Amino acid sequence: MDHSFLHNKKLLLVDDEPELLKMVTSILSDDGFGNIVTAASVKEAISAVQNEKPDLAILDVMLPDGDGFSLMQQIRTFSDVPVIFLTAKDEAVDRLSGLGLGADDYIAKPFLPQELLFRIYAVLRRCYKEDTPLINLDGCTIDFSRAEVHKAGEIIPLTAKEHIFLETLARSEGRIVTVDTLCEALWGDNPFGYENSLNAHVRRIREKIETDPSKPVSLITVKGLGYKLNTRK
Amino acid sequence: MKSLGKYISKYLASFVGLVLILLFINGIAFGWTFYGIMTKDYGDLSPQSMLERTAASASLKGISHEISEQLRNNHIWAVYLDMGGNRIWDVDAPAELPEHFTVQDVAVFARGYLADYPVFIRNTDDGMLLLGYPQDSYMKLTSNYYSLRSIKALPLFILGILAVDFAILFLIYYCSKRKILKNTEPIITSIVALGNGKPASLSMHGELSGIADSINKASDILSRQNQARANWISGVSHDIRTPLSMIMGYAERIAHEKSAASHIRGEAEIIRQQSVKIRELVQDLNLVSQLEYEMQPIHKSSVSLSALLRSYTAELLNTGLPDGYSINIRIAPAAETVSFHCDARLISRAVGNLVQNSIRHNPNGCNIALALDCTDESISLSISDTGIGLSAEKLKELNEKPHYMKSTDDRLDLRHGLGLILVHQIAAAHNGTMQIESEEQKGCKVILDFPIDGGS
Repeated sequence: MDHSFLHNKKLLLVDDEPELLKMVTSILSDDGFGNIVTAASVKEAISAVQNEKPDLAILDVMLPDGDGFSLMQQIRTFSDVPVIFLTAKDEAVDRLSGLGLGADDYIAKPFLPQELLFRIYAVLRRCYKEDTPLINLDGCTIDFSRAEVHKAGEIIPLTAKEHIFLETLARSEGRIVTVDTLCEALWGDNPFGYENSLNAHVRRIREKIETDPSKPVSLITVKGLGYKLNTRK
Repeated sequence: MKSLGKYISKYLASFVGLVLILLFINGIAFGWTFYGIMTKDYGDLSPQSMLERTAASASLKGISHEISEQLRNNHIWAVYLDMGGNRIWDVDAPAELPEHFTVQDVAVFARGYLADYPVFIRNTDDGMLLLGYPQDSYMKLTSNYYSLRSIKALPLFILGILAVDFAILFLIYYCSKRKILKNTEPIITSIVALGNGKPASLSMHGELSGIADSINKASDILSRQNQARANWISGVSHDIRTPLSMIMGYAERIAHEKSAASHIRGEAEIIRQQSVKIRELVQDLNLVSQLEYEMQPIHKSSVSLSALLRSYTAELLNTGLPDGYSINIRIAPAAETVSFHCDARLISRAVGNLVQNSIRHNPNGCNIALALDCTDESISLSISDTGIGLSAEKLKELNEKPHYMKSTDDRLDLRHGLGLILVHQIAAAHNGTMQIESEEQKGCKVILDFPIDGGS
């Protein structure tokens, strides 16, 4: 999925280590983010959230004038901005308290730039839907806003379940999505007993999106694990 | 604890045995001493034989000279009465004795004493023979009558007393044992806990409180040291994270920098890969030390292991498995529905460590298989590869030699990674076991077995 539509989002980075702020800023701007604000303390962070109204806040936990958890609680009193913790604290307790506060993700240092970017995009995509949700596949286009497939001049409608199924896969485009995640999205349950229903959905979706449903190129089965959706830029 | 109980039983039983032996010895000593006094001290002079001999030679006419000499030598006097109570003759009779004995007199002395002399009598054909022994020689019981019923009941009574005695002895034995066990049990439990490196806390009063205090102190020192060690490791691993982030971040940026020369990009890629190894080490080190000293809270919840394995495998494939490696997953139908009470993050970490081990030790690539099986009692999770495997010696070493984290041995060649020890600890934290099977050139298989109610 193309995530350039997310590049105009404003990101707030909070960390007391200036070198790290500098590095993360350059990682983000190199990848296309043009609007990055930084803060080095709880105080600066609060005023930045108030004045800059960022679309995503990436918070360190250990700050010179307080901790990231209470910072998040203070932010929550006036803003619903999505929060990712990026911290050197890697114990299960910290992770649980961070996620327990309702943070959207918890990333432990040290991290690879690619991992950080992937998880920032994942949170942004979850929180901010694409304005024109069109997905190009090999031989067809899916329009999620209308729940339609455009294939060779033909318009094929998608059922609600098929829509959820494809949207779940599209959100992790090119990546394997397990049957557990799919069943959870479709029926809110574990996959046991839904195997046949899932297969039936896959068969019908392939008829709608694949040029040759018996040789699928877009909706691929990964044996024993789940499915993945290959898109075309 | 059981051995202590046995020890105390043995100790108390021998104590009771000793008491019984002592009583027996007392009995023997008593019998032997008194028999000795009766036979040795008096022997032929005992009233029984003296009466017999004197009576044999005594008649209305008198007594043989020989016998009267014998009586005299032993300070025994003798009196012979006829049927009417008149004194016929005597040998050294005390002066205060009357010449004529009335029926009342006879009735009185027949029971015991005459003028304070212990007196023994014998009826002969013609009259009655009295022997008076010296005043300090014998004591006579004057009220020696018992009802026949009580005499008949005597054996039963003695048996009863013995039985009651035994019962009381046993009760004392049993109570002592219980009391000792009760008092020492917490101490023993604490010492066993200390021996296993676990903290112990005792609160006791009385004689044993000193021991309890010492144990508490030892436990306190132990846990403070452990805490300090774990804190130290956690501090180092925390402080290293931010600088390592920068190394990893810039290395990756340089590795992907198109304007950089290709050999520089290659070198940056090596820095990146090595720093990822340091990251794994730092994470493992911290977790190992936390689990080792039981400072890692285990967050257990009901987890579908099949979903966990699928999610792990999908994530691994999504982030990209290096060329030459493949991974597949097999979940038994029975294992599909089982939910296991565990810490999902730790189990996932264990699986990850084992898969990474397979990748690291097989640089030429291999096939990795994850399998989940389940019976009524246990869940078995196995991670196997088709790689170079382990030699028999290496396998033995992995199974037997202590890890350097746990060893005080200076030999650094004992070292191997933290990966396996962490898996082992994670299995143990879920009451499970880890087993390694391997043959050279035939791959390696690690099996984690968990009881199904694992620590819930």
